[in-house]
Amino acid sequence: MSINQLIVRNLKKNLKNYYLYVFALVFSAALYFAFVTLQYDPSMDEVEGSIKGAAGIRAASVLLIGIVTIFLLYANVIFIKRRSKEIGLLQLIGMTRRQIFKILSLENLILYFGSLVIGLLLGFAASKLVIMILFKITGVDAIASLSFSPQALLQTLIVFGLIYVFILLMNGLFIKRQNILALFRVMSTMEERGKRISVIEIIIGLLGIGLIVTGYFVSSKLFDGDFTSMTALFGAMIFILASVIIGTYLFYKGSVRFLFHLIRKQKNGYLTVNDVLSLSSIMFRMRSNALMLTVITTVSALAIGLLSLSYISYYSAERLAQQIVPDDFSLLNEKNAIALKQEFDQQNIAYSEKRIEVVMANVNVSKIMENDLEGDTFFSDNMLMPVISDQDTEGINVSPEDTIFSGYNDAVSKMMPFGDSGPVELLGKKDKIKQNYIGLERDYLLPLQFTSGGLPVAIVDETVFNRLKQDADPALQNEFSEYIGIQLADKTELDKANALFQEQGFDDTLQFSQLEAVNGQKQQMGLIMFIVGFLGLTFLVTSGCILYFKQMDESEQERGSYTILRKLGYTRGDLLRGIQIKQLFSFGIPLAVGLSHSYFAVKSGWFFFGSELWAPMLIVMLLYTALYSIFGVLSVLYCKKVIKDAL
Amino acid sequence: MSMLEATKLRKSYGNKFNRQEVLKGIDIRVEKGEFISIMGASGSGKTTLLNVLSSIDQASQGTIWIDGHEMTAMKEKKLAEFRKQHLGFIFQDYNLLDTLTVKENILLPLTIAKTGKKEATERFNVIADELGIYEIRDKYPNEISGGQKQRTSAARAFIHEPSMIFADEPTGALDSKSASDLLNKLTALNQKRSATIMMVTHDPTAASFGSRVVFIKDGQMYTQLNKGDQSRQIFFQDIMKTQALLSGVQHEH
Repeated sequence: MSINQLIVRNLKKNLKNYYLYVFALVFSAALYFAFVTLQYDPSMDEVEGSIKGAAGIRAASVLLIGIVTIFLLYANVIFIKRRSKEIGLLQLIGMTRRQIFKILSLENLILYFGSLVIGLLLGFAASKLVIMILFKITGVDAIASLSFSPQALLQTLIVFGLIYVFILLMNGLFIKRQNILALFRVMSTMEERGKRISVIEIIIGLLGIGLIVTGYFVSSKLFDGDFTSMTALFGAMIFILASVIIGTYLFYKGSVRFLFHLIRKQKNGYLTVNDVLSLSSIMFRMRSNALMLTVITTVSALAIGLLSLSYISYYSAERLAQQIVPDDFSLLNEKNAIALKQEFDQQNIAYSEKRIEVVMANVNVSKIMENDLEGDTFFSDNMLMPVISDQDTEGINVSPEDTIFSGYNDAVSKMMPFGDSGPVELLGKKDKIKQNYIGLERDYLLPLQFTSGGLPVAIVDETVFNRLKQDADPALQNEFSEYIGIQLADKTELDKANALFQEQGFDDTLQFSQLEAVNGQKQQMGLIMFIVGFLGLTFLVTSGCILYFKQMDESEQERGSYTILRKLGYTRGDLLRGIQIKQLFSFGIPLAVGLSHSYFAVKSGWFFFGSELWAPMLIVMLLYTALYSIFGVLSVLYCKKVIKDAL
Repeated sequence: MSMLEATKLRKSYGNKFNRQEVLKGIDIRVEKGEFISIMGASGSGKTTLLNVLSSIDQASQGTIWIDGHEMTAMKEKKLAEFRKQHLGFIFQDYNLLDTLTVKENILLPLTIAKTGKKEATERFNVIADELGIYEIRDKYPNEISGGQKQRTSAARAFIHEPSMIFADEPTGALDSKSASDLLNKLTALNQKRSATIMMVTHDPTAASFGSRVVFIKDGQMYTQLNKGDQSRQIFFQDIMKTQALLSGVQHEH
């Protein structure tokens, strides 16, 4: 048999084993090519015009290369270790290392560039889809056109060519470093099995869980006002990261084993087949894969966290827009308001108008502040707030002694929470008006210009308002003292009305359309979500593949055990049930830890991004879990095959 | 009453065009409580015979009855069920699960049969004591010697009190001291529990521990020897002679 025949046969065999590798390679090549095509696509200018679209996509493609490179190199290590016996055998029968290197390189070349070509074709086809998705999420109105970019092709080829060279270098090093004997031994030294648990491991196990819990605890306290200075906050964040990541590593290194050991000890030797296949096997394997699992867990936590946050922003775009623009159209200028209303009247668009007179005043809220930030960062005894009369609001009526606050930004309210009630003082130029603060409403009544980026509006009785108006400090007042809000009667006319608003061509920054604000938010958050989403998807596919390869290896190594168990009289169904439990743990533990990490990460700071936590976060998590489970199912199917062949 | 009865057993591998016949119509009967050895040269089909009889492999033709059940008529699931309750196995390469301790390995068949925990522990204590492996019960297979591993394997084969025990070259990987140790234990268990044992071996010494030896040549029964009342030494001599005749090679004994 000539070397060429050998290569062809190996390829045939490998293709069947590594179809998932080929898939992952095709997928990443396709995605990368699609991204780079996007970057050079003229229709991207549409997105680029408003935000830095191309820059974001370029940064994403660099990250994509990083993920793909690490994945391909890692997968290559798994494969070459699997084949070490074969390499040893070839050396034993007198092949030189150079020849073996040649065989491996040629095999890789065919497999790799074959997948790459398919990937490029798919990527070219998919780039239209990708750009359509991008336009859809960001709400850009443009027709996605398909244009082939030679630049993109060249860039993709160069990048993947470089990765190939890296793989060759690694293979070369691997072959060079090993002698025949060592090659035969690789399999057996790769993982340790059948060792008893030591005291140090128990300590490591407890320490791991302890560190993770500590990290979670500190993260829940992060924005509760316990950390008052910027340095302390930053220090706390570093601490959380370090403690959770190290904790995760120790968790895989010791805790899993320790926990399983406890369960096993309880059983006192009486293990069922499910225990045998899941508990005892995972106990030893998690430990030797601790580093890989830590990386996978941390990055998936990162991916889920970022996805959740960007989706939270996207999801809350409307509410955020309300905060900036409380009504369909918010105007601060009488002249413009009249012009717009005229236009609406002409086009028969029904609307209602409300006017709110605003006085800016310093308010002493130090008595109702729940936690007192250190005095020098913030003045709670004279906070600049807009004050309005209850006459100008709908459905709110306060007595002359009372004050209600309305529309407090979520993020700011986390940092400076108010109590339920208490005394406040409205500070005029000369007088102090003592008032009773009786509660906080959710509605945003005034646009951002008045609320200095998130402070609530104080609603007082008409008489109090008039008193304050007489006594107002002119230095604190804005150039405008009245807010004009226009609400459409029929929301379906919003698009038409918005077009009219645009036509007016108001040149200053005193009027806003809520729809515009929503679209702006969505465009910005949509692009971020798009990029994070595709990166997350790539990472999910690659990490899923790595776990799958690992499971593939494990089930090959455990084939002997399957044989024994089947000889002892377990049916294929019995074994399969055990395997399913094992895969549930193998895939489930990293996933569960990743989800829990990202949950605590998102929970500690989500309010900076939007107003809705649960729905968007759960959607992201469920989606991630569902896609991730595909790989678990695939490895169960693979094990099924191994079990079938075991007897 | 016969424990195992096989008639006209045939087994062939390969497809229609390239058929290799390994068993060519073997009839065999094993009585209850017998310790029977099967000998033969490499490639004579003795391991295939054992695999077919123990239901690990399917026979191409012929019928097998064990303890009143017709094995050849059973479906795979039923066979597994039967193996779990009625058969015990000892193999040359021990076949212990390295992720389990000695005790866990031995208790494995009982967990399939859903025997109570308390009874399982009692049975374990008795059998582990008999085989002298009680002290190493919490060790993992790679921490103990080959002889200990094989005794663990034997304990696993006996613990659920199967009707029939199949042993495939159990002494193949052991030194002669450990081998005779193990065989002595097997004989003791055979007598004490009146367990039926069928052992495949190419070692005449091992075979001489049994009560009967069946010789296989080219997939057919060649001859058989009964120990009867003679001593093990004389039985051993007989086996040597027959083996020499069988292979045509004269041994210097």
